Amino acid sequence: MSIDSPASNRRQFLGSFAGSFSGLALGDLLAREGVLSGTLHHPPRAKRVVQLFMAGAASHVDTFDYKPLLEQKDGEPWDPGEEVELFQSTPGACFASPWSFRAHGESGKMLSEIVAPLGDVVDDIAFVHNLVGKTGVHSQGTLLQTTGFNFPGFPSAGAWVSYALGSENENLPSFVVLPDHRGYASNGAKNWATAFLPAQHQGTVIRPGAETPIADLFPPKSKFITKQRDAAGLDALSQLNSLHAAARPGDDRLSARVRSYELAAAMQLSATDALDTSREPQYIRDMYGLAPEGPGVDDSGVINEKAETEFFGRKCLVARRLLERGVRFVQVWSGNDNGFPRRNWDSHGDVKRDHAPLALGMARGASALIRDLKQRGMLDDTIILWTTEFGRMPCSQGSKGRDHNPFVFTNWLCGGGVQGGTYGESDEWGYKPQDRGRYTSVYDIHATILHQLGIDHERLTVLNNGIDRRLTDVHGHVLEEML
Amino acid sequence: MITRLLDSPAFGEKFAQHWLDLARYAETHGYDKDKPRPNAWPYRDYVIRSFNEDKPYDRFVQEQVAGDVLFPDDPDGVLGLGFLAAGPWDFIGHWEVGEAKLDGRIAKHLDRDEMVSAVFNVFQSSTVQCAQCHHHKFDPIRMEDYYRLHAVFAAVDRADRVYDGLPAEQERRKQELLSAITRLKKEQETLTTQVNRLIAARASGLDRRIAELKEKHGTGLKPQYGYHSGITKNPNEAKWVQVDLGKPRGATEVRIIPAYDKYNNIGAGFGFPVRYHVEVSNDAEFKNGVRRLHDATQADQLNPGTDSIVISGDGNAFRYLRITATKLRERKSDYIFALGEVEVLNEGGATNYATGARVDAKDSIEAPVRWAKANLVDGIYFRELGNESALAELRELQEKRKAIEEEVRPEGTEERLAAITTELEALEKERKAIPDGQVVYAAATHFPRGGRFTATEGNPRPIHLLHRGDLRSPGDAMKPGAPPLWSGVDDSFFDRGEWSEGEARAELARYLTRDDNPLLWRSIVNRLWQWTFGEPIVTTPNDFGRGGLEPSHPEILDILATSLRDDPNHSLKRILFLLYSTEAYRRSSTHEEANAAIDRNNRYLWRANRRRLTAEEYRDSLLFVSGILDRSMGGASFQDFQIEKPQHSPHYEYHLHDPNDPASHRRTVYRFVVRSQPQPMLTTLDCADPSMSVPDRDESTTALQALTQWNHRFVEAMSVRFAERLKAGSTAPEAMVREAYRLATGRAPSEAEEGILTQHLSKHGAESFARVIFNLNAFVYVD
Repeated sequence: MSIDSPASNRRQFLGSFAGSFSGLALGDLLAREGVLSGTLHHPPRAKRVVQLFMAGAASHVDTFDYKPLLEQKDGEPWDPGEEVELFQSTPGACFASPWSFRAHGESGKMLSEIVAPLGDVVDDIAFVHNLVGKTGVHSQGTLLQTTGFNFPGFPSAGAWVSYALGSENENLPSFVVLPDHRGYASNGAKNWATAFLPAQHQGTVIRPGAETPIADLFPPKSKFITKQRDAAGLDALSQLNSLHAAARPGDDRLSARVRSYELAAAMQLSATDALDTSREPQYIRDMYGLAPEGPGVDDSGVINEKAETEFFGRKCLVARRLLERGVRFVQVWSGNDNGFPRRNWDSHGDVKRDHAPLALGMARGASALIRDLKQRGMLDDTIILWTTEFGRMPCSQGSKGRDHNPFVFTNWLCGGGVQGGTYGESDEWGYKPQDRGRYTSVYDIHATILHQLGIDHERLTVLNNGIDRRLTDVHGHVLEEML
Repeated sequence: MITRLLDSPAFGEKFAQHWLDLARYAETHGYDKDKPRPNAWPYRDYVIRSFNEDKPYDRFVQEQVAGDVLFPDDPDGVLGLGFLAAGPWDFIGHWEVGEAKLDGRIAKHLDRDEMVSAVFNVFQSSTVQCAQCHHHKFDPIRMEDYYRLHAVFAAVDRADRVYDGLPAEQERRKQELLSAITRLKKEQETLTTQVNRLIAARASGLDRRIAELKEKHGTGLKPQYGYHSGITKNPNEAKWVQVDLGKPRGATEVRIIPAYDKYNNIGAGFGFPVRYHVEVSNDAEFKNGVRRLHDATQADQLNPGTDSIVISGDGNAFRYLRITATKLRERKSDYIFALGEVEVLNEGGATNYATGARVDAKDSIEAPVRWAKANLVDGIYFRELGNESALAELRELQEKRKAIEEEVRPEGTEERLAAITTELEALEKERKAIPDGQVVYAAATHFPRGGRFTATEGNPRPIHLLHRGDLRSPGDAMKPGAPPLWSGVDDSFFDRGEWSEGEARAELARYLTRDDNPLLWRSIVNRLWQWTFGEPIVTTPNDFGRGGLEPSHPEILDILATSLRDDPNHSLKRILFLLYSTEAYRRSSTHEEANAAIDRNNRYLWRANRRRLTAEEYRDSLLFVSGILDRSMGGASFQDFQIEKPQHSPHYEYHLHDPNDPASHRRTVYRFVVRSQPQPMLTTLDCADPSMSVPDRDESTTALQALTQWNHRFVEAMSVRFAERLKAGSTAPEAMVREAYRLATGRAPSEAEEGILTQHLSKHGAESFARVIFNLNAFVYVD
């Protein structure tokens, strides 16, 4: 037996007796509490997490990682001094970013004009420019960032956090996913799955602005369900299930199920309230860049800035409202699968066309979220992670695109006790880490986030198929210098 | 009764679901795109049938690892290999990246790891996957052992393969097609011969002279064809090629000579543009001082065949000559731009400035000897005849012959021949769509290449021990073998340096099913116990190693394992019969405080474990109680979603499916299981995630489940159907309540329950009443 942590204990305990009526409290059965509730490994700095995910692989050299050398050598043959194997193409010439960079904030951090809206908060952001991935395959890169493994079968970081910390508000799911409404990114729901963690920790998909934002929250269109019958039915059900439970002592699952319907009813109210952005004052709606015509803003023709700003801004605003109400982990997606027309960051063909609207929309929404959390005093205990599956190459693909770069890319964190600044640099091209022996991995990012939440990433483990599994596999170091 | 239940076909359906959870069975690839596997389901049917036929367990295991080798004459030998292929597969890594690149080799490595882990988790209840980077911490499994297992699977991939002949109807259609094709070809031949005979009678003199001319002046086809652009699907993609004369030259004539290539029976004029123009300039970029010498962009041009295009110069000198194709000629459902030769001649044609000049192009397929930019100016091109006057004579003769052909051809022959060609194409297309036999998605070594995904044809890929699991740090080459988990078993399967891949898998199958394997038999009886009592004896059913948990009743485990092993039929049903016959199995789930005080968690089975319906059972029960469950077994899966955007990344839209679609009213084990976008209702109700082997499902109780069971469209639709069924019987409310309760729970309601239900039924109608029934604890839990 390998029981080396409370989490492992607890999990094995639950695993051993699932299906029997062990005397677990209702709170356990309904998973309001996490395995570490009240027994955190150390005092936490943060309580909740937002993960902003740029699907398709956002270019670091066109956004946050300024490379003057590319401007000097634009169009010249690119020679990094070694053989380069790319996902789709053979390396083209040096390709300067189509956008100009300018210094922002007190730190003078250089930002591209397409992410300039983040200039207002740039001093609060901790940039990591030496992230390294494992492969240049979208599915693997995306899973690596969401689950810590580059193949399926592992819980999402959000599921781990929900499992560890439970919910602050039993009337809302603890892990919420706001996908791009045009389609799921690579791996679909695997990016917010629980895998071997209990099912209640899976990300609940919410589609702000959609006709049915949360599946099954309300009755479907029906010839027989009316408001009155719905209420009467729930009332009868509660009586019947309570009678059933009372006749069968010793099985807490039965009363937990009675309670689950009460929670469901409460969730109808809480979730509706959380998604009602119409109550936000106009200046807040403007800050997030919501379009006057709402979520139906047109993006059917050319990808455009106005629509991208509305889409991402609305998700950021809803994220804030969910966080305020006690949701632990919100995953916000920008970009869908590689369908046609392209609506993601995978700019093989044309960086300029796709990155400009996506980045501006993202930067406005993210900047508004940071400022809004700050003005509500929530930035101190909310940690925001900006990530993507990998970066893009400093050389061109064709004449206007960039191929995948899993060798180096950028993440940034903000809030939750993280100090602004730059931690880790890429080389002069933005091709590999500046110091090739010292780079940052997703495990380090995850370890740091868990650390801020009061969790030792090496001690949050669950036994699955014979192996004590953790979010950070067998790796990960807390990035102490940014805390 | 036990025998009756074990003999029921539903037994296989129920137990197959457990096995499919273990086998990480789904019908899409997962990962990016999540594309469908339309031929995965025969493996699901194989599992159901194997349980129903009580297939000896050792045979069941062997078929799933090396059935094709050990039982070559039995379709089950191939069907069983669906197990190895059932897990996720990285389409992009295999198909688009390929093993020539490191990323592709990583995808292949992960793919093998997935197979190796599944075999050991499922059959051996052991964990080997952690030995990828280091020796196993608790169990005697070294890195070498792990990579030996990779060597066992070094030649297999996941693909469709034939397991049996075609079904009778398909076979009949195929024969029909074949005979129709033969008949038409014969008619085609007869007609052609007839016509040729008629022509020959009139044209024999001409033909003799044509042959003479070709004999005397023919130059033959030299291999340096010319210039060939990149291939495109878009005929309107402009492409250009240009010649640099080194310095401005005053040329009087430009000759453009078409290419000749027999590819797709094209021959003369291969790739000659349909529309194009010819420009000259002294600017290599053709931005300044461009003069157009020839414009053929306004109308489609006939293929010039072997005739050269001759263009006069405009008297001014130029350094660069560029030919731009604005509409490309078809090759084989794609488009290219090709030319045989370009000549730039001075007054009188004595000097060709283009000879050996530098040639540039927008794009080019450099495939020497035949195709290269340099071949455009090498003086070599296809000449039908080397003598100009002979060529003129040949053309004249050819014209005459054409006139004769027109004249002698019998009325309607040409039309008939054209009709035959069209019909043949259609029939061939249909015949090609019929596979060689019935196929299953399984482990395979032979399959047609697709993208960069190439079959090994049985040649094992080289496998090395990988330091830290990193493909960039290979160690020693590995031979097939398996961990020496018990004494008396060798870690290496072969002494010799060469082996066949099939034999390696056969050796692994023998290793697994040896009588002295201490794990295989315990592993399966532990699962049978779990599937019977709700709790396994060893509560980590996929890991009996020291990382797992101690058994609660080790003696029972050993007795059952020995009994199964020593039974010559290795019959699982016999073990299940034993378990169902026990007093423990017949106990009720009633709580007794005295017993609970001693064994609160019922480790010793003093009562039955109250069981919640699984996700699939809940769905099946709704259909069954509503009276509309379709019990037909087997075959292609029903889909409870609609696919949008199938071309690229299919979107599986569950909310667009009509819950009243009768095709979907079969047992849930027959549903089409999507891996990356799982069925939302079943997922919320704790069904297994097919990305991994799931030995025991979680059982959660959440508000989201309550919302699903109360508000899901399927539950709403079934409430209507159940109400219809009830209303067809007695319409007295009390009778309806009793009937509904009996159908849903198998017992009568208590007086209090009956009162509440009757009141709701009377006041709110049968549909709302049915919705309440489908949400009862009494319905969801089995006492």
